[in-house]
Amino acid sequence: MARSSKPGSSKRWLPAAVVPAVIAGGVVVGTVQAGAATDLPDKSPQEVLALAAGTDVRQLSGTVEQTSQLGLPQLPETEETDSGPSAAAMLDLLAGSHSARVYLDGHDKARLQVLDRLAERDVVRNGRDVWFYSSRQNEAVHALLPERTAKEAKESVQDKSGDDAGYTPESLASRFLEAAEPSTRVTVGEDVRVAGRDAYRLLLDPDSADTLVDSVAIAVDAETGLPLSVDVQARGQQEPAFELAYTKLSLGAPDPGVFDFTPPAGASVTEHTVPDQAAQRAERNARDDGADAQHPDGKATKTGDGWDTVVELSATSLPEGWADSPAMAQALRKVDGGRLLSTALVNVLLTDDGRVFAGSVTPERLQAAAEGR
Amino acid sequence: MSSKQADSAPAVRRRSAAGWALLGSELGVLFRRWRTWAMLAALAAVPVLIGLAVRLTSEDIEPGDGPPFLDRVTQNGLFIALTGTVVSIPLFLPLTVSVAAGDTIAGEANLGTLRYLLAAPAGRIRLLAVKYAAAVAFCIAAALTLVAAGMLVGVVLFPVGPVTLLSGDTIGVGESVLRLLLVAAYVSLSLAGLAAIGLFISTLTEVPVGAMAATAVLAVVAQILGALPQLDWLHPWLFTEHWVGFADLIRQPISWDSFGANALLQGGYIAVFCALAGSRFATKDVLA
Repeated sequence: MARSSKPGSSKRWLPAAVVPAVIAGGVVVGTVQAGAATDLPDKSPQEVLALAAGTDVRQLSGTVEQTSQLGLPQLPETEETDSGPSAAAMLDLLAGSHSARVYLDGHDKARLQVLDRLAERDVVRNGRDVWFYSSRQNEAVHALLPERTAKEAKESVQDKSGDDAGYTPESLASRFLEAAEPSTRVTVGEDVRVAGRDAYRLLLDPDSADTLVDSVAIAVDAETGLPLSVDVQARGQQEPAFELAYTKLSLGAPDPGVFDFTPPAGASVTEHTVPDQAAQRAERNARDDGADAQHPDGKATKTGDGWDTVVELSATSLPEGWADSPAMAQALRKVDGGRLLSTALVNVLLTDDGRVFAGSVTPERLQAAAEGR
Repeated sequence: MSSKQADSAPAVRRRSAAGWALLGSELGVLFRRWRTWAMLAALAAVPVLIGLAVRLTSEDIEPGDGPPFLDRVTQNGLFIALTGTVVSIPLFLPLTVSVAAGDTIAGEANLGTLRYLLAAPAGRIRLLAVKYAAAVAFCIAAALTLVAAGMLVGVVLFPVGPVTLLSGDTIGVGESVLRLLLVAAYVSLSLAGLAAIGLFISTLTEVPVGAMAATAVLAVVAQILGALPQLDWLHPWLFTEHWVGFADLIRQPISWDSFGANALLQGGYIAVFCALAGSRFATKDVLA
């Protein structure tokens, strides 16, 4: 074109400079708005705690994001060999970041979808039926909850550790709230916005020198008292060691079809029986210790209290050979008296005589506990 | 428009008409090209190969073996479309799009035909828009070819029935076809960002092979960077970040989050690189 024969005119490059500037501006404005402080009426820590404890939200659908920076080596995804909510699967849930969709309706209908890369893991509870489905293995596990458990769950509003134990912000936060003993300073921080809702930010500061936890922050929805996010800061680490937050949340009954699950044709289906005792024991374990609820079963004895609790597990309570897998071998480090699995939040000591000590405390404390026997 | 002075109304009309005519002829040239059909055929060959390989071997495929969804293929042929898409996303699709996008301007410059194109009353920016539209048309054709070939092969070689989604829920054949078309739309969108990068690189050089190679290399490099956990601060900015996010379309209920995030990301890349290409092309000395 004749008119554009004058090259070098700097105005020609204007769009190329303006477009990225506009995009960058949009990103900055978006971030500032997302972090904008909201102004809620002031509440004391006790009031916020009561608000959280009194929440009666049992119907919701939402998306949850979880990230962990525990300083653990990233587990390759192919490592999951077992089906079902095994120890390996639990460990996987604690490493890296995950996104999941949560649906709740009443006390006996829940669905959790862990959205993996090109795959999905589902836990569906509808009344007494519990289904676990893994798309990668195309496997379904079915369990029928004992009658009593189902009834108990209905009766006790406090008990939120159903099948989704430890995964909704709700159940996690209530566990932390239980741990808020005199050993913890509880304050209310600046108001925040989580998943588009105004929330109080409850801060828990451990009053102990031995624990690895620096602080725990829980966002409590100002309207309903529903915990919207939990993040745990570890000592000496900038990034939160653990973060769990709703990114999207809508209160109200989800589509009932979400809770109907029929195993797909061609999937292998395993029936799993749930003994009554196991449920009770799991419940007791969950109540006993706030710091380490990862082990699915097994007897645990604890020493110390509050944030300094050290839990001792007998070797038989853990899956056989779990410490011998290549990933674990890589993560374990030799220390005096055994091997140590060290993360930002939890230390686990495997003594040479086969005992296991775990706690959110320094390795030295674990060693002391091991020698104290 | 590139012009500084105000155009009179008839001139604008003439130019826009010329733009549409140019687009028509550009699409005609693209889809009459031997090379375009060769690339589409190569893409269609991917699901055909997968289908034949699975059909001709008698061994059962264990869940989790091979590329995702491969174990489902024997039960339901429609899964070939998904397996084919997953397999082609990292390299085949970006490669063909790089060829189509890298050729846009550099190819004309190399052949010495760019001068004549600019003699048409459409204007440089409109020519660039037409070239980009043709590249996007190729992205759509590529994604559709892959998915359609997969479905066809699946129907011919395997039983077809209700499809199991990632969530374990089952949907009917009609809805499955709709979802697969959505997957094709998602993939086309993912590739549109790469096409914009290719367009910009194409305005930088007169050697089309260089532009094609540079675009393809960028696509691979972005994916390698995306696989390194040490660079996770960078990941949200990589145009390959959501490339496999189409899996969210085969969950129940559909999760639109990654579609939205992908659209935003690709939109950003399209805006930035089309602006860069426009600025570069408007100031470029066209000698050939």
